[in-house]
Amino acid sequence: MERNESQYSGGRRYKNNDITVYWKPSACIHASYCYRELLEVFDPSRRPWVDMNGSTTDKIIEVVNLCPTEALAWKWNDEEKNNSVGNDQLNHIKFRRPELMNSDDPDSKEQPVSVKIMADGPIVLKGNFTLSYNGTKKEIHDSMISICRCGVSDHMPFCDGQHRKAGFIG
Amino acid sequence: MDENKENKSQAIIEVIDFGPLKITGNFLLKDLQRDKEDSPGEVRLCRCGKSGNKPYCDESHKK
Repeated sequence: MERNESQYSGGRRYKNNDITVYWKPSACIHASYCYRELLEVFDPSRRPWVDMNGSTTDKIIEVVNLCPTEALAWKWNDEEKNNSVGNDQLNHIKFRRPELMNSDDPDSKEQPVSVKIMADGPIVLKGNFTLSYNGTKKEIHDSMISICRCGVSDHMPFCDGQHRKAGFIG
Repeated sequence: MDENKENKSQAIIEVIDFGPLKITGNFLLKDLQRDKEDSPGEVRLCRCGKSGNKPYCDESHKK
Protein backbone atom coordinates (compact mmCIF):
# COMPACT_ATOMS: atom_id res chain seq x y z
CA MET A 1 0.00 0.00 0.00
CA GLU A 2 1.43 3.33 -1.03
CA ARG A 3 1.61 6.07 1.54
CA ASN A 4 0.83 9.62 0.64
CA GLU A 5 4.03 11.45 1.48
CA SER A 6 2.49 14.92 1.20
CA GLN A 7 0.74 14.23 4.49
CA TYR A 8 4.05 14.34 6.28
CA SER A 9 5.41 17.63 5.00
CA GLY A 10 4.59 21.28 5.33
CA GLY A 11 3.25 21.18 8.87
CA ARG A 12 4.24 20.74 12.49
CA ARG A 13 5.52 17.62 14.20
CA TYR A 14 4.94 16.24 17.66
CA LYS A 15 6.89 13.26 18.95
CA ASN A 16 6.84 10.70 21.70
CA ASN A 17 9.14 7.68 21.99
CA ASP A 18 7.15 5.59 19.49
CA ILE A 19 5.50 7.83 16.92
CA THR A 20 5.47 11.29 15.35
CA VAL A 21 2.15 13.06 14.78
CA TYR A 22 2.01 15.46 11.82
CA TRP A 23 -0.27 18.45 11.88
CA LYS A 24 -1.17 20.38 8.77
CA PRO A 25 -3.38 23.35 9.72
CA SER A 26 -4.33 24.23 6.13
CA ALA A 27 -6.01 20.82 5.67
CA CYS A 28 -8.12 21.02 8.85
CA ILE A 29 -11.89 21.43 8.38
CA HIS A 30 -12.56 21.55 12.15
CA ALA A 31 -14.56 18.34 12.21
CA SER A 32 -13.35 18.20 15.84
CA TYR A 33 -13.02 14.42 16.25
CA CYS A 34 -9.54 14.78 17.77
CA TYR A 35 -10.26 16.99 20.77
CA ARG A 36 -13.63 15.44 21.47
CA GLU A 37 -12.04 12.02 21.76
CA LEU A 38 -8.78 12.95 23.44
CA LEU A 39 -8.60 16.42 24.95
CA GLU A 40 -5.62 15.34 27.06
CA VAL A 41 -3.56 15.23 23.86
CA PHE A 42 -5.41 17.52 21.43
CA ASP A 43 -6.41 20.76 23.14
CA PRO A 44 -6.97 23.69 20.75
CA SER A 45 -6.84 26.20 23.61
CA ARG A 46 -3.35 25.13 24.71
CA ARG A 47 0.01 26.00 23.11
CA PRO A 48 1.39 23.80 21.76
CA TRP A 49 -2.02 22.26 21.23
CA VAL A 50 -0.71 18.68 20.94
CA ASP A 51 0.73 17.08 24.08
CA MET A 52 2.21 13.70 23.21
CA ASN A 53 2.55 12.82 26.91
CA GLY A 54 -1.19 13.16 27.45
CA SER A 55 -2.06 9.55 26.58
CA THR A 56 -0.75 6.22 25.32
CA THR A 57 0.65 5.69 21.83
CA ASP A 58 -2.21 3.29 20.97
CA LYS A 59 -4.86 5.81 21.93
CA ILE A 60 -3.13 8.62 20.02
CA ILE A 61 -2.96 6.45 16.89
CA GLU A 62 -6.64 5.57 17.26
CA VAL A 63 -7.67 9.22 17.44
CA VAL A 64 -5.35 10.45 14.67
CA ASN A 65 -6.95 7.78 12.47
CA LEU A 66 -10.36 9.35 13.13
CA CYS A 67 -9.31 12.59 11.44
CA PRO A 68 -11.43 12.73 8.27
CA THR A 69 -8.93 14.95 6.45
CA GLU A 70 -5.19 14.88 6.00
CA ALA A 71 -4.68 17.48 8.72
CA LEU A 72 -3.51 14.83 11.19
CA ALA A 73 -1.25 11.92 10.29
CA TRP A 74 1.21 9.72 12.14
CA LYS A 75 4.27 7.56 11.53
CA TRP A 76 6.35 5.19 13.59
CA ASN A 77 9.69 6.74 14.54
CA ASP A 78 11.25 3.39 13.65
CA GLU A 79 11.23 3.48 9.82
CA GLU A 80 11.38 -0.32 9.67
CA LYS A 81 7.97 -0.47 11.29
CA ASN A 82 6.50 1.89 8.69
CA ASN A 83 7.44 -0.57 5.96
CA SER A 84 5.38 -3.41 7.36
CA VAL A 85 1.76 -2.40 6.93
CA GLY A 86 -0.20 -3.47 9.96
CA ASN A 87 -3.92 -3.44 10.51
CA ASP A 88 -3.80 -0.07 12.19
CA GLN A 89 -2.23 1.51 9.12
CA LEU A 90 -4.71 -0.20 6.83
CA ASN A 91 -7.56 1.26 8.82
CA HIS A 92 -5.89 4.59 8.56
CA ILE A 93 -5.88 4.43 4.77
CA LYS A 94 -9.33 2.90 4.56
CA PHE A 95 -10.88 5.71 6.52
CA ARG A 96 -9.07 8.58 4.81
CA ARG A 97 -8.87 7.24 1.29
CA PRO A 98 -11.85 4.97 0.72
CA GLU A 99 -11.29 5.32 -3.03
CA LEU A 100 -8.16 3.19 -2.66
CA MET A 101 -10.11 0.39 -1.04
CA ASN A 102 -13.31 -0.01 -3.09
CA SER A 103 -12.27 1.36 -6.45
CA ASP A 104 -14.14 -1.36 -8.36
CA ASP A 105 -17.40 -0.94 -6.50
CA PRO A 106 -19.94 -0.07 -9.24
CA ASP A 107 -22.32 1.51 -6.74
CA SER A 108 -19.84 3.95 -5.29
CA LYS A 109 -20.81 6.75 -7.67
CA GLU A 110 -24.42 6.58 -6.46
CA GLN A 111 -23.47 6.81 -2.79
CA PRO A 112 -25.67 9.21 -0.84
CA VAL A 113 -23.94 12.36 0.33
CA SER A 114 -22.97 12.07 3.98
CA VAL A 115 -24.28 15.02 6.02
CA LYS A 116 -22.98 14.97 9.57
CA ILE A 117 -24.09 17.32 12.32
CA MET A 118 -21.05 17.47 14.59
CA ALA A 119 -21.72 17.80 18.32
CA ASP A 120 -21.47 21.54 19.13
CA GLY A 121 -19.72 21.90 15.78
CA PRO A 122 -20.23 22.34 12.04
CA ILE A 123 -22.12 20.44 9.34
CA VAL A 124 -19.62 18.14 7.62
CA LEU A 125 -20.57 17.17 4.05
CA LYS A 126 -18.84 14.37 2.17
CA GLY A 127 -19.33 12.84 -1.27
CA ASN A 128 -20.41 14.08 -4.71
CA PHE A 129 -22.63 17.10 -4.60
CA THR A 130 -23.40 20.50 -6.05
CA LEU A 131 -22.65 23.39 -3.73
CA SER A 132 -24.22 26.75 -4.38
CA TYR A 133 -23.34 29.88 -2.40
CA ASN A 134 -22.89 33.61 -3.05
CA GLY A 135 -24.43 33.16 -6.49
CA THR A 136 -21.89 30.56 -7.63
CA LYS A 137 -22.25 26.83 -8.21
CA LYS A 138 -19.48 24.32 -7.63
CA GLU A 139 -19.34 20.60 -8.33
CA ILE A 140 -17.67 18.81 -5.42
CA HIS A 141 -16.28 15.36 -6.25
CA ASP A 142 -15.40 12.79 -3.58
CA SER A 143 -14.49 15.52 -1.21
CA MET A 144 -15.37 17.00 2.13
CA ILE A 145 -16.33 20.47 3.34
CA SER A 146 -17.64 21.87 6.62
CA ILE A 147 -20.33 24.53 6.96
CA CYS A 148 -20.60 26.84 9.98
CA ARG A 149 -23.54 26.16 12.29
CA CYS A 150 -22.79 28.61 15.12
CA GLY A 151 -23.03 31.84 13.11
CA VAL A 152 -19.66 33.36 14.11
CA SER A 153 -17.24 32.08 11.46
CA ASP A 154 -15.06 34.71 9.75
CA HIS A 155 -15.01 32.52 6.67
CA MET A 156 -18.72 32.08 5.91
CA PRO A 157 -20.32 29.83 4.89
CA PHE A 158 -17.44 27.59 5.97
CA CYS A 159 -16.43 26.61 9.48
CA ASP A 160 -13.22 28.20 10.76
CA GLY A 161 -13.17 26.50 14.16
CA GLN A 162 -14.45 29.49 16.15
CA HIS A 163 -17.52 27.61 17.51
CA ARG A 164 -15.39 26.34 20.35
CA LYS A 165 -14.20 29.78 21.47
CA ALA A 166 -17.75 31.08 21.06
CA GLY A 167 -19.05 28.33 23.36
CA PHE A 168 -21.57 27.11 20.77
CA ILE A 169 -23.89 24.40 22.05
CA GLY A 170 -26.22 22.51 19.75
CA MET B 1 -16.45 3.52 -22.00
CA ASP B 2 -15.27 4.89 -18.74
CA GLU B 3 -18.40 6.87 -18.06
CA ASN B 4 -18.82 4.80 -14.89
CA LYS B 5 -15.94 6.69 -13.36
CA GLU B 6 -17.80 9.94 -13.70
CA ASN B 7 -19.07 10.87 -10.27
CA LYS B 8 -22.60 12.12 -10.46
CA SER B 9 -23.76 14.86 -8.12
CA GLN B 10 -26.09 13.22 -5.62
CA ALA B 11 -27.47 16.26 -3.86
CA ILE B 12 -27.80 20.02 -4.14
CA ILE B 13 -26.41 21.92 -1.18
CA GLU B 14 -27.66 25.47 -1.21
CA VAL B 15 -26.30 28.11 1.15
CA ILE B 16 -29.17 30.59 1.39
CA ASP B 17 -27.96 34.16 1.97
CA PHE B 18 -28.74 35.15 5.58
CA GLY B 19 -30.67 31.90 5.87
CA PRO B 20 -30.31 28.15 6.35
CA LEU B 21 -28.47 25.42 4.46
CA LYS B 22 -30.94 23.75 2.12
CA ILE B 23 -30.11 20.20 1.07
CA THR B 24 -32.09 18.26 -1.53
CA GLY B 25 -31.43 14.89 -3.15
CA ASN B 26 -29.76 11.66 -2.17
CA PHE B 27 -28.17 12.19 1.23
CA LEU B 28 -27.90 10.61 4.65
CA LEU B 29 -28.29 12.98 7.59
CA LYS B 30 -26.44 11.89 10.73
CA ASP B 31 -26.92 13.98 13.83
CA LEU B 32 -24.06 13.08 16.15
CA GLN B 33 -25.29 15.49 18.82
CA ARG B 34 -28.72 13.89 19.14
CA ASP B 35 -27.77 10.44 17.89
CA LYS B 36 -30.30 10.40 15.01
CA GLU B 37 -30.09 9.20 11.43
CA ASP B 38 -32.43 9.96 8.53
CA SER B 39 -32.69 10.31 4.73
CA PRO B 40 -35.35 13.00 4.43
CA GLY B 41 -34.79 13.97 0.76
CA GLU B 42 -34.96 17.64 1.70
CA VAL B 43 -33.89 19.51 4.78
CA ARG B 44 -33.15 23.06 5.96
CA LEU B 45 -30.37 23.24 8.52
CA CYS B 46 -29.75 26.17 10.87
CA ARG B 47 -26.64 28.26 10.12
CA CYS B 48 -27.15 31.15 12.54
CA GLY B 49 -26.91 29.21 15.80
CA LYS B 50 -30.21 30.54 17.16
CA SER B 51 -32.72 27.87 16.15
CA GLY B 52 -34.79 26.39 18.94
CA ASN B 53 -35.12 23.19 16.90
CA LYS B 54 -31.50 22.39 16.01
CA PRO B 55 -30.15 21.16 13.71
CA TYR B 56 -33.15 22.42 11.70
CA CYS B 57 -33.91 26.01 10.79
CA ASP B 58 -36.92 27.48 12.62
CA GLU B 59 -36.64 30.94 11.05
CA SER B 60 -35.07 32.38 14.22
CA HIS B 61 -32.46 34.11 12.03
CA LYS B 62 -35.16 36.59 10.98
CA LYS B 63 -35.74 37.78 14.52
